[in-house]
Amino acid sequence: MGAGIAHIAALKKFNVSLYDINEEVIRRSVERINFEMKRAVDKNKITDDDMKQALSRIKKRTNINDLDTCDLIIEAVLEDIKVKKDLFKKLDQIAHHTAILATNTSSLSVTSIASATKKPERVVGMHFFNPVYMMKLVEIVKGARTSDETMKSATAIAEQMGKKTVQAKDTPGFIVNRVARPFYGEAMKILGENVTSLEEIDRIVKRSGGFKMGPFELMDLIGNDVNLSVTESVYEQLYHDPRFQPSPIQKQLVEAGLLGKKTKQGFYNYDDK
Amino acid sequence: MKKQVKSKRSKGKSVESQDTVDNVKVKNQKPTVETVTPTTLETAPKKAKPVEVKHLLCLLGDESLVKEYSTVFQEQGISVLELKNLNTLKTSAKKITTALELTVVSGDNKRKNLDALNNALPENVPIITSTLTETLLSQTQSLQHRHRFVGIAAFPTLISNHLVELAPSLYTTKEILDSVITLFSAAKKETATVQDSVGMVMPRILCQIINEGLFTVQNDVASPNDIDEAMKHGTNYPHGPIAWGELIGFSTVAAVLDALYHNHHEERYRVAPLLRQMAIAGVFWKEKN
Repeated sequence: MGAGIAHIAALKKFNVSLYDINEEVIRRSVERINFEMKRAVDKNKITDDDMKQALSRIKKRTNINDLDTCDLIIEAVLEDIKVKKDLFKKLDQIAHHTAILATNTSSLSVTSIASATKKPERVVGMHFFNPVYMMKLVEIVKGARTSDETMKSATAIAEQMGKKTVQAKDTPGFIVNRVARPFYGEAMKILGENVTSLEEIDRIVKRSGGFKMGPFELMDLIGNDVNLSVTESVYEQLYHDPRFQPSPIQKQLVEAGLLGKKTKQGFYNYDDK
Repeated sequence: MKKQVKSKRSKGKSVESQDTVDNVKVKNQKPTVETVTPTTLETAPKKAKPVEVKHLLCLLGDESLVKEYSTVFQEQGISVLELKNLNTLKTSAKKITTALELTVVSGDNKRKNLDALNNALPENVPIITSTLTETLLSQTQSLQHRHRFVGIAAFPTLISNHLVELAPSLYTTKEILDSVITLFSAAKKETATVQDSVGMVMPRILCQIINEGLFTVQNDVASPNDIDEAMKHGTNYPHGPIAWGELIGFSTVAAVLDALYHNHHEERYRVAPLLRQMAIAGVFWKEKN
């Protein structure tokens, strides 16, 4: 997801440092940005010149100390609180004293991540949505000690990136991942009660509700492992509020390795495609 | 135009002859009127159905829903009778081909309407009833002719989309269900037949999303407007949950959730206190100050 954020930031004329400890990861990320931008050129969404300039604004970094000149550092590593905290501790030491430190976490506590730094007031959540160049939204998340100034700056930068921003307090799932829980959970509950088949639930949700995708298609696209872990995280953080109870149906799929599109099978079979 | 009276069955005589006459008329004016396909004719040749079906749909129940449904049917050239007074039912009972009872929240009104329809309409005229807060089985268990009832997920804002959810009860006959499906396909709607259950599929999911939206406002996580924007732009929902709840009516949303709560005895269907307040007072507590 870091690549996606770098992509749109560079297009909107930000100078970008793309950092990973692994050089190979950086190389593949830039390759992907290249590929996506070429597609945008083919569709006449951007010009060839836009693309060249944007790519020239992306610097590949493998040494964390090179991030000391950045005004904003957006972290998008895996969703593991320990990994994130360790990274923020380091970033807090190397970053310029006026820099903002943002986390792209989707379900971990911004407050908890910020607690690894000496200046939690400059730590904020900037939650982007996949695919970043298509999805308009960024949730700007206020941790318990995030300053209003940090909120304002993060909001302004996200808007300069061409995004629509909403402000959320640091609570499990923020807005989208919380309000969307029943879309999946209730659909699986209905399936579990045998009200109808999962294909029919998807059809009903799209054709009767006007949603672009049905819950089961969407879970397969997101990945059942990812979707389940978000649900579990919200459920645990809210001390087992029954509204967020994970579904045994999804748990079983994950245990069977049927993660969705990426494994060619989830709720649906994707072998032919 | 001449009347063609078919008198194979004396019971349905007057209705059938009326149909035939109307169909000839309609055919000349509007070539788009729904035609029964040859396969349908083959499976039911004994009934000597007219080649073209002329519907007269009787609608009653929640005013705004009646209006939504009425528009959809009329746009497809299906005649609609909006029944405002049960006393007038008698005079038109013989012409009605299907009745649609659209009171979302079950109660005395719905029972009165269903009784009146059941008593007035010939016993093979389908009666469709919204079954979101009470299953069809429970609504019709003690009624005569319970074979002719079909449940529907009639919920505000949904009929303008492409699909209608239907649910037969244990007693509903295939003929009745088929004729209801035919009626909706004449109105250019596809149908999904699901188990007779409280909230059915789309309203149940939708009410849970709206409830969570209101919990999120109540917990002061974000403003109602930001919640709506987030769901539209972060995950492509057709409406924001708060605005959608407003369109549906918060009292209707709360009633479906209450029914799910009582039906399942599960905390997950607990109505957000703020939703409850919206259902009663129609305003956010913040706006009052």
